[in-house]
Amino acid sequence: MSEPLLRTEGLTQHFRVGKLFSRQRLHAVDDVSFEIGRGEIVALVGESGSGKSTIARLLARVYKATAGDIYFEGKRVSTLRTRRQRLGYAGDVAMVFQDPYSSINPAYRITHPIERGIVLHRRDVARRRRENEVEKTLGTVGLVPAGRVAGKFPHELSGGQRQRVGFAAALAGKPKLIVADEPVSMLDVSIRIGVLNLMSELREREGLSFLYITHDVASARYVADRVLVLYAGHLVEEGPAEDVLQRPKHPYTQLLLSAVPDPRAALGISDAADVGEPPKVIDPKEGCRFRDRCPFAIAECETVTPQLREIGPRRRVACHVAEPDV
Amino acid sequence: MTLPSVADSVEPAGATVGSGPPEEATRRGAGADVFRAVAHNRKALVGLGLLLFFGVLAVFPGQIAPDDPRAKIYPRGLGPSVHHLFGTTAYGEDVFSQLVFGTRQSVLIALAVGGLATVIAVIVGVSAGYLGGKTDGVLSLITDVILVIPIFPLIIVIAAYERNSGFFTLVIVLGALGWSYGARQLRSQTLSLRRRDFLEAAVVRGERKRYVIVHEILPTMTSLILASFLGAALYAVLFAAGLQFIGLGDPNSQSWGTMLYWAENNEALGAGMAYWAIMPGVCVALLGAAFALLNYAFDEISSPALRLRKLERAGVDAERATAVLAVSPDPKNILEVRGLSVAYASEHGPVVAVDDVSFDLRRGEFLGIVGESACGKSTLVYAIARLLGAPLAGEITDGQVLFKGRDMVTLSDKQLRHIRWRDYSVVMQSAMNALNPVLTVAAQMRDACEAHSTMNKRQIEERSREVLRLVSIDPVHLHSYPHQLSGGMRQRAMIAMALLFTPELIIMDEPTSALDVVGQRSLMVQIKELQEQLGFAVVFVTHDMSLVRHFSDRLLVMYAAQVAELGRTAQLFRKPLHPYTDGLLEAFPSIHGPKEHLLGIPGSPPDLLRPPAGCRFAPRCPHVFARCTAERPRLLEVDGELVRCFLHDQPVVPVVEAKEGVA
Amino acid sequence: MRFVVRRLGFFLVTLWAAVTLNFLIPRLMPGNAAIAMMSRYKGHVNPQAMHALEIAFGVHNHQSLVSSYFTYLGNIARGHFGVSLTFFPDTVAHQVLQALPWTLALVGITTILAFLLGTLIGLVSGWRRGGALDGVLPPLFVITSAFPYFWLALLAIWLFSLKLGWFPESGGYEVTTTVGWNWTFVSDAFTHSILPALTIIVTAIGGWILTMRNNMITVLTEDYVRMARAKGLKPWRIMWTYAGRNAILPNLVGFAMSLGFVVGGAILVEFVFNYPGVGWMFLQSVENQDYALMQALFLMITVTVLLAILAADVATAILDPRTRERG
Repeated sequence: MSEPLLRTEGLTQHFRVGKLFSRQRLHAVDDVSFEIGRGEIVALVGESGSGKSTIARLLARVYKATAGDIYFEGKRVSTLRTRRQRLGYAGDVAMVFQDPYSSINPAYRITHPIERGIVLHRRDVARRRRENEVEKTLGTVGLVPAGRVAGKFPHELSGGQRQRVGFAAALAGKPKLIVADEPVSMLDVSIRIGVLNLMSELREREGLSFLYITHDVASARYVADRVLVLYAGHLVEEGPAEDVLQRPKHPYTQLLLSAVPDPRAALGISDAADVGEPPKVIDPKEGCRFRDRCPFAIAECETVTPQLREIGPRRRVACHVAEPDV
Repeated sequence: MTLPSVADSVEPAGATVGSGPPEEATRRGAGADVFRAVAHNRKALVGLGLLLFFGVLAVFPGQIAPDDPRAKIYPRGLGPSVHHLFGTTAYGEDVFSQLVFGTRQSVLIALAVGGLATVIAVIVGVSAGYLGGKTDGVLSLITDVILVIPIFPLIIVIAAYERNSGFFTLVIVLGALGWSYGARQLRSQTLSLRRRDFLEAAVVRGERKRYVIVHEILPTMTSLILASFLGAALYAVLFAAGLQFIGLGDPNSQSWGTMLYWAENNEALGAGMAYWAIMPGVCVALLGAAFALLNYAFDEISSPALRLRKLERAGVDAERATAVLAVSPDPKNILEVRGLSVAYASEHGPVVAVDDVSFDLRRGEFLGIVGESACGKSTLVYAIARLLGAPLAGEITDGQVLFKGRDMVTLSDKQLRHIRWRDYSVVMQSAMNALNPVLTVAAQMRDACEAHSTMNKRQIEERSREVLRLVSIDPVHLHSYPHQLSGGMRQRAMIAMALLFTPELIIMDEPTSALDVVGQRSLMVQIKELQEQLGFAVVFVTHDMSLVRHFSDRLLVMYAAQVAELGRTAQLFRKPLHPYTDGLLEAFPSIHGPKEHLLGIPGSPPDLLRPPAGCRFAPRCPHVFARCTAERPRLLEVDGELVRCFLHDQPVVPVVEAKEGVA
Repeated sequence: MRFVVRRLGFFLVTLWAAVTLNFLIPRLMPGNAAIAMMSRYKGHVNPQAMHALEIAFGVHNHQSLVSSYFTYLGNIARGHFGVSLTFFPDTVAHQVLQALPWTLALVGITTILAFLLGTLIGLVSGWRRGGALDGVLPPLFVITSAFPYFWLALLAIWLFSLKLGWFPESGGYEVTTTVGWNWTFVSDAFTHSILPALTIIVTAIGGWILTMRNNMITVLTEDYVRMARAKGLKPWRIMWTYAGRNAILPNLVGFAMSLGFVVGGAILVEFVFNYPGVGWMFLQSVENQDYALMQALFLMITVTVLLAILAADVATAILDPRTRERG
């Protein structure tokens, strides 16, 4: 099996919280391991507070992991020392942000972040060819006519258009992997599909990989090959998208799916007796973090933290109670 | 006196998720916009005018002043006359000439100190805000200490040891001590900028720290830096004059402050040389006022909330409400909206946010109002609830809102207050913003109870507990402050509050969008259960059709301020009549059905400032034909539903004609 | 509580900074003013005054900078500020305490009055957005907030004292009255304080009106105010409890920061009116090069400002439950 494009091993991120001298630690991400292959779209599904944004920032090297490692094309990311190496990684792994109204600097025209991407990561492009490259990138993300759009300021574009600019900026450095942190949650519903389709196209045409971070399971199904489910900092389920979403094994995934409104599904309100919320994970004890809300919890769930175990081909679940398919 | 600054005041809540662009993004980076804003602002113009005036005096004193300011050749202590506009000093100098020549020093001090203090403030403030950690700790401490130590006495102490401070010393001392206020402002602005994604984007793409600070942060803070400069300039003018007045400056220099010093020493006020004693002060005040006015004007320009606009009703182009007054209300309906139109004033003219909307709501019915950003759904329901006003701009320009038979539009504030909360209540989108942060939940429930009933304290507390239990919140949280509750709890607490008087109608504006999927589902179920239990009608606004699919009886789809379609939920989902509704349904990827490629709806909603001539959806409609762009479609009744689309307005072609056409 | 403790810590740091500045500045000035001054006075001034200067400068011949610093700190802590040159042979400490009540009465009361009035006017002005009050006041006060304090004082004297003769033009009281708690004296002191008080209020109030007004306008756009309207609360209650209480919070912070300015201005006002307060004495000491007195007064002014800021912080903690948690 060839080396995946990106691999994380035991990725952990803790934050210090509390008053001045407190030693409390918020466990945002604990022991998360997964892989992303070339030309693959992997969805990371979780609610707010699950740690998905933290993982995005760990991959983008905004944070330095408390523990664990990230391997990109086989090389350990934490050992990148020189500016050249770090810049190289930044060119290979780009990020798209959630809020189209704050992800572009309002003081400049929209070509600014794209141009900077080219300046930093594609030294081979001569200065006089830069404008051309910028317009080409705008065309790739569907912002046409590129010449006219290039002269605009962010506030002159709609939310959907700005998000496309965000993609263009990410593409400027010719990345291999794009980490998209909830790229459509703040867009109008009718615009979302367009942006999701753009992600698929980019994967088809340019061979890009995506880590698509979202809380919307339906969109994950629409665009992703594989799905990772995150709960309170732990990876609880993983597998091919169809498999995980049609035959969820982890009780949380099951709860999540039952709560998703599906306009085309038959009528039937399941008894949503669950009024719980994901826990704030500060100095947690051992044991499954979902146990308080889990209808299937057993004694072991209280004391032993479930690890991810294989229950099928490329299918893993972290649960003491989950059964593999027969 | 310190200059007022909005940057130091309350930060309004940011744009909430899924709701679209915040009202009028502040215009930056477009120099033309700033220029235009300045040209329209009276304060800015006056300020600039004064600065220009003093600037000219500073550069060309010789050409303007009639005499040499130092020439002691005139009779002493004269009053104002034709030869001496403001009289002469006790030493026989012309006061007017001295004023003119004194301008240069004051202007130079203002600019020099302004510049120096601003540079230091930027370096300290931005570094502290951006670098954080220990750097921030140390820099902030130094800033706060200098801010708190009374500057004027400190400068006096310094000047006391170094008598007769020349211009240069004055600039250094004032500049070295006057940056702290600006640094504080810049630091807090930088801190809030840090949450802005574009800074993180810059870091992620590999920019160096120095680049980020200079090229990404500073350009967005130009107005604040400018404000800092103006504030420092003002402070310099006042302090320099003050120091010179008490004799700590160079008594031989030519400046307004020194004039005041000599005037005071010669008891000019009492000795009939009042102008000598007062005019230099007037100049200081005017120059200071120039800076203050400019500062205030820039505050107004950069903060949209401070700008007030009046709506020109004449310019409002909404559909005229068709004959409504004659029809009397149906008693089965709790709410009848007839031809409601709402408009507000924008920078470029009036905008119609709600255009001729009509619908009925039966008692106990659940109506979902669906649409995307800027379709007018929120404006609509707030207009119905008579809650328009900042920040939701707008006035009702036409139509009726019949609630239990009475037209709410014509009710006075006093009459409205009577029925508010008792007969209808409102649940807003974000509980964090809708709950008063300085009052406990109990206090906020109590004031609603006190306003509308004669319950005593015990009864109020009993009732408050009761409604909290209705939404599954432990009543112990009654005495918590909003920030102490979790997101989901806050949201449910708001619903509890809306139930205090068991009203007949509850208007909900996207009450679940701040919650996660599981929380949303459970809250929706709870709302539905409460509705069935207590029998109130619900108007539920949302951008997510699928959310209300299983809960609403009827759906109203809004597009570009108009009703696109209105009908029973099940039917609408099964057979949408309007292409927009159809497109919306297509835009929701399904979990359980077959996996298919979706198209969404290309393009974006029209600019309501200049809506298209015919059907507003025409530019994006896959079924568009000639009539759509030429005429405005009316709201028609089809199969018991209302729809605004020419597809359903085709004249019937007689069979005979068609056959002839074919031959 | 933790919040207040943290602020106290900050004030101690600031106080220490002020004391240290007092110590360092004369030494840092070119020509080492301390030594120069000392040698100038030698022979002309008696040993007690010399001792006063030594304490003021912390100079004890042949002591290192660091140890003289600690001696100085010790003296300050024990309240030994030395003997005043201006009011020889009275001690600095005694003189300062004489002037203090005058300033506390004038500046203390007027500042608080200006703040409360300004906040009130700003609150109403922001609430009645676009009304008559709101159209005139803001631009007017923007301009008055730029006036130099001392100039306004001069104007006031010229107009009300010299031209109209309504108020006395200088002093804290007529030299002919006997000092003490008798009616003549108190009413006399009161009449003498009216013009200075008015001067301070007129200049200081502008800034607070404007900030409060802007805060109100911003707060009125908040959802919780709309919610209050939705609940059908009386406008009065909305203005006070919902808008006002939230709008005043940043104003309190602003109060703390602008106090330094107000105090500086008050010094000039006392000077112009010859009002026997701390500010006037401070400037007298500068004039007479009475450094011992000057330094002590500087510390006094700083302490007063710090205490006022602490009071504002406590008020913020009481009004805003979120501060109490932040700690």
